[in-house]
Amino acid sequence: MSLTLNLLLNGAALGMLIFLLAAGLSLIFGLMGVLNFAHGAIFIWGAYTGWTVYGWTGSFGLGLLAGAAAGWLLGWLLERWFVRPFYGDHIAQILLTLGLMIVLTELLKAVWGPNLQNFDKPALLQGAVTILHDPFPVYKLFLIGVGTVLAIAVHLLLTRTRYGIIIRAGVQDPVMVQALGINVRRVFSAVFAFGAALAALGGVLFGPSFGSLFPELGMQNQLLAFIVVVIGGIGSFLGAFAGSLLIGLAQTLMGYYWPEAALAVNVALMALVLILKPEGLFGARR
Amino acid sequence: MQKIGNARIGLAILLAVLALLPLVSSRTLLATLIQIFIVAVYAMSYDLLLGYTGIVSFGHALFFGTGAYAVAILSAKTDRPELIFAGVLVGVVIAAAVSVVIGMLSLRVRAVYFSMITLAFAELFFIIAEKWNGVTGGNDGMSFSIPEWMRDRTVLYYTALVFLVVMYLFLRRVADSPLGRTLQAIRENENRAASLGYDVLRFKVVSIVISGVVASLAGAMFGIFQRFVNTSVLSLDKTVEALLATIIGGTGTLIGPVVGAGVIRFAQDALSDLATVHPIFERWLILFGIVYIVIVMFFPKGIVGTLRDKWTGGRKGGVRHAADGSERNPDVL
Repeated sequence: MSLTLNLLLNGAALGMLIFLLAAGLSLIFGLMGVLNFAHGAIFIWGAYTGWTVYGWTGSFGLGLLAGAAAGWLLGWLLERWFVRPFYGDHIAQILLTLGLMIVLTELLKAVWGPNLQNFDKPALLQGAVTILHDPFPVYKLFLIGVGTVLAIAVHLLLTRTRYGIIIRAGVQDPVMVQALGINVRRVFSAVFAFGAALAALGGVLFGPSFGSLFPELGMQNQLLAFIVVVIGGIGSFLGAFAGSLLIGLAQTLMGYYWPEAALAVNVALMALVLILKPEGLFGARR
Repeated sequence: MQKIGNARIGLAILLAVLALLPLVSSRTLLATLIQIFIVAVYAMSYDLLLGYTGIVSFGHALFFGTGAYAVAILSAKTDRPELIFAGVLVGVVIAAAVSVVIGMLSLRVRAVYFSMITLAFAELFFIIAEKWNGVTGGNDGMSFSIPEWMRDRTVLYYTALVFLVVMYLFLRRVADSPLGRTLQAIRENENRAASLGYDVLRFKVVSIVISGVVASLAGAMFGIFQRFVNTSVLSLDKTVEALLATIIGGTGTLIGPVVGAGVIRFAQDALSDLATVHPIFERWLILFGIVYIVIVMFFPKGIVGTLRDKWTGGRKGGVRHAADGSERNPDVL
């Protein structure tokens, strides 16, 4: 397999992980105007929960489920007790979610300790397959598969179901949706929890790919997700997907050629988008 | 208004006590106070953004760290301690330039972009400082020397105290000037300020520049006091320090962040002593984080603002408002 294909596949795998984090972030922002600065904390809590359950049961599937459930629960709690009282007050929401990020990260250290934990790949997904005469890790292919399936599923949910229509209408004009007799608040809570579950799932999937877990990973990945959201356009699901792939590829390419400058390139990409098309590649003009 | 007069007198007495302190106090207390003064200036510069302009930066450490590194690099690389003053200037220039770039990039779009973009840039500077070993000393940081006459603890103490008073007066002047009034108008209702003909973007950029320059001065002072810098001056924790001091002390008051900086520092010391009693106290950030969350939720005006309201029955400062002027209908959401 050529180097180019290898880097492309690696980039796509990383892109899928970032996408799981960015999708919820973008949806929650588009729908409710809430920029959730605790999203990375949900990601890393999901990762640690999944890792623990996987360690207990030996089943990676159960680990994924447990991680997603933990994310769902955290998202629901956050929305119910901290975000809901402050709809319309963006500053308080941003300040609060950052505070929650700090507290959740510290709590994580109190529960699991501040040090590295090894996260091994499940037996089924270890090893490599041969693509064009060269080995490629199975797990990365699995990530690309899972990411694609989830992206298509969420896309269909948003475009083909009643709930999706309500959510997209809510992004456009929540007051009108409410006036049509739909309980927008309940939709908001569900989307918040759903986005959090996606992020937590991303965390569990991220673990074996990265090989280990430590508390600061939450903030690091959240930063990439923010860059994706800015590049793709806030509230745009398609934008989150395209932006994630772009950043995943940029990160992987730079990681190979000049690892120190990986973040610099991502920030430069973000700056470029802001100069040329401030609303993002797929964002709606306001 | 009688109470406000009393507060003034109280402040004057406190200042007199602080001025006479080196004659009687221990060296440790002086060192602690120097650090508080520096953090207080740094937090006040943050308040200009958060409390007066109503924009949330999550990258304020970038400016603080720029000031600290500029002083360190100029002194260490040339081996001429007297160049720290040139370092202060270099830090200010870089901080101003970076503020303009970040402001121009992020303020054309929604207010929340600013929070994300400042975070990204601060993280970028942090990584540059870590990787660029030859210049910054990377992870190990770098020591440098300062002129002989400044090494005396008492001299440093008075320098820091004067620095705090001067910066407070300067920022107070800015806040009460027509510029400051305009910033507060933007905070309260951006659309309205814009339709009255104010160039909102320009005012916001000016506010970010002033705030960044003052933060870089605080960083330079910090570097001079420590005679050592490492990447921690650019870390997110450093930004959180300003955020905690401002929120706990009281936004939009200027004196609040000073109070916050002192309260946090003394609480930290008390908690560190308790750590020997129970290991939970080692994670002091959890406790501060919880206090911070409670304050944002229930006392949005912080210590100073809440007390001030109690005394005067007035309403000044506070964080409750829609940042981008998009007041949503509260009956619906």
